[in-house]
Amino acid sequence: MATLPSARAASTGGYLILRLIKGLSTVCGWISAVMILASVLITCQMIFVRFVMGQSTIWQTEAVIYLMIGATLLGLPYVQSLRGHVNVDLIPILVKGRARKMLAGLVLLMTMAVVSVILFYAYENWHFAWERGWRSETVWAPKLWIPYLALPLGFGLYLLQLLADFVALVLGVDRPFGLED
Amino acid sequence: MMDPLSLGLLVAFMTIVVLFSGVSVASGLLIVSAGFLLVFDGMRSLELMPEIFFGKLNSFALLSIPMFIIMGAAISSTRAGADLYEALERWLTRVPGGLVMSNLGACALFSAMSGSSPATCAAIGKMGIPEMRKRGYPDEVAAGSIAAGGTLGILIPPSVTMIVYGIATETSIGRLFLAGVVPGLLLVGLFMAWSIYDTWRNGSAEVLAQRSYTLRQKLEILPRVIPFIVIIVGVLYAMYGGIATPSETAAVGALLCLVIAMIIYRLWSPKALWTILSDSTRESVMILFIIGAAGVFSYMLSSLYITQSIAAWISDLEVNRWVLMGIVNVFLLVAGFFLPPVAVILMAAPILLPIILAAEFDPYWFAVILTINMEIGLISPPVGLNLYVINSIAPDIPLKTILRGSLPYVGCMVLAIVILCFFPGIATWLPDLIMGPA
Repeated sequence: MATLPSARAASTGGYLILRLIKGLSTVCGWISAVMILASVLITCQMIFVRFVMGQSTIWQTEAVIYLMIGATLLGLPYVQSLRGHVNVDLIPILVKGRARKMLAGLVLLMTMAVVSVILFYAYENWHFAWERGWRSETVWAPKLWIPYLALPLGFGLYLLQLLADFVALVLGVDRPFGLED
Repeated sequence: MMDPLSLGLLVAFMTIVVLFSGVSVASGLLIVSAGFLLVFDGMRSLELMPEIFFGKLNSFALLSIPMFIIMGAAISSTRAGADLYEALERWLTRVPGGLVMSNLGACALFSAMSGSSPATCAAIGKMGIPEMRKRGYPDEVAAGSIAAGGTLGILIPPSVTMIVYGIATETSIGRLFLAGVVPGLLLVGLFMAWSIYDTWRNGSAEVLAQRSYTLRQKLEILPRVIPFIVIIVGVLYAMYGGIATPSETAAVGALLCLVIAMIIYRLWSPKALWTILSDSTRESVMILFIIGAAGVFSYMLSSLYITQSIAAWISDLEVNRWVLMGIVNVFLLVAGFFLPPVAVILMAAPILLPIILAAEFDPYWFAVILTINMEIGLISPPVGLNLYVINSIAPDIPLKTILRGSLPYVGCMVLAIVILCFFPGIATWLPDLIMGPA
């Protein structure tokens, strides 16, 4: 939206590890897309069961919500690798050269810091759900550690892609904010 | 400890600084929230961040966002936009200024199918702009009318922006969609009136003359356009006939649009389908991430008593409600200049809604006012997205000309806001008629 057309996907400069991380993020994107498609199909199936066959549905509503949450969180590293998270690049456009690079580094470090905090508590939360065998309070009652897993997994992989972007910035293989000079 | 109002000012200032640094909007909101929670509420409050994020996304209504995005992406990947434009042009040929009218009409109809402003701009502009220039319309009118027509995407249902407003304010999405219809038509009317006047004023009156088509030419284009119109009507019928919720109808709409794109436009290749799916995934993830992050942000605002204090402070001020509405409009306008509509709504709604309700404004009417403000931001510098879309599909029209062409349409939108303030019924009449009074 507010991202100008000049912003490009992060480049890896041929470093194997950066390419691997980008590849991993892309795979996450595929999984995320499949989860969204699955939620379209399940919702249609639910409508069919309810209106055409006149039966009540049990698991569908909850399942599609969890699929959507999973798709969102697993999609984070993918969208990051495409620089698709919308931003306002007003100051980045105003500053040039070294200052822009420093700003890009600072922005990545701040993002990594907050993502790490969420990752830490998300893992704790998931661990509780796993250890205590929490279940959802519905008729279907799925084990909650499964949907909760999306949080530490998604934020963990997001952190990994942010780290790769930071390394690419420091090595100079990626332009700060993907902007043309 | 600071008092909540000064704290609110500090949060506003820090949010602006952080968001302008180039960080992604969602991460920026998380950074600001974590920072303030840590400093003013202690380490323990950070513990809740993942749960709040998860809880905010844990809603069936949100599912309509990826669904409508897939629907729009499927339609946008076909020639449907061009066909729609051609069909209107053939049928409106006897109307004075038929070409610019068919362009704006196509924008309005395409908005109703795609729910996205940049997609509408690109789909109609690719055919419409070259055709208008070829027939002697001034560049300003050609570029400006499409840039403005494209903004209708977020007002005319289905609109992702309206869904986000509905979720942020816990108002009915179906009612919000209906509230956008008549104001959308009002805007189309104002845009058309200006386009025709501007073309005539420039002495390009002869381009307003018609070109003629045979009945056969008029009829042969219909089979390619009608299926999509049937889907829109079907989706709206299912939603207002009480058959299904917006999320459910959106899912069926998404599936049908994918199938139609495959059958009518022969979009068979896995690559074409993957493009639709990956584009929609990217956009959905981006929006849903902002929604989750904004949930954390509004939790921070209310746990530091900022939301409550601002609402109390404003109601103590006892200003005239229209002065208040004026101030809110200026605030939204400025925010819309810099931030994408979804972000503005998610950040501002929890603060603004109590104020709006206390001043006895209708929340559905306000959604329309807010959305038109966001539309203005889409065609205004520095980050008016539609301007850049036009720039990329018609690179030989300088950005300055596009901007000059769009300005009068900003005027039309401001006029629409004023008209809506005098006649709020324009927004509330249709939802009241179909769904009963709120």
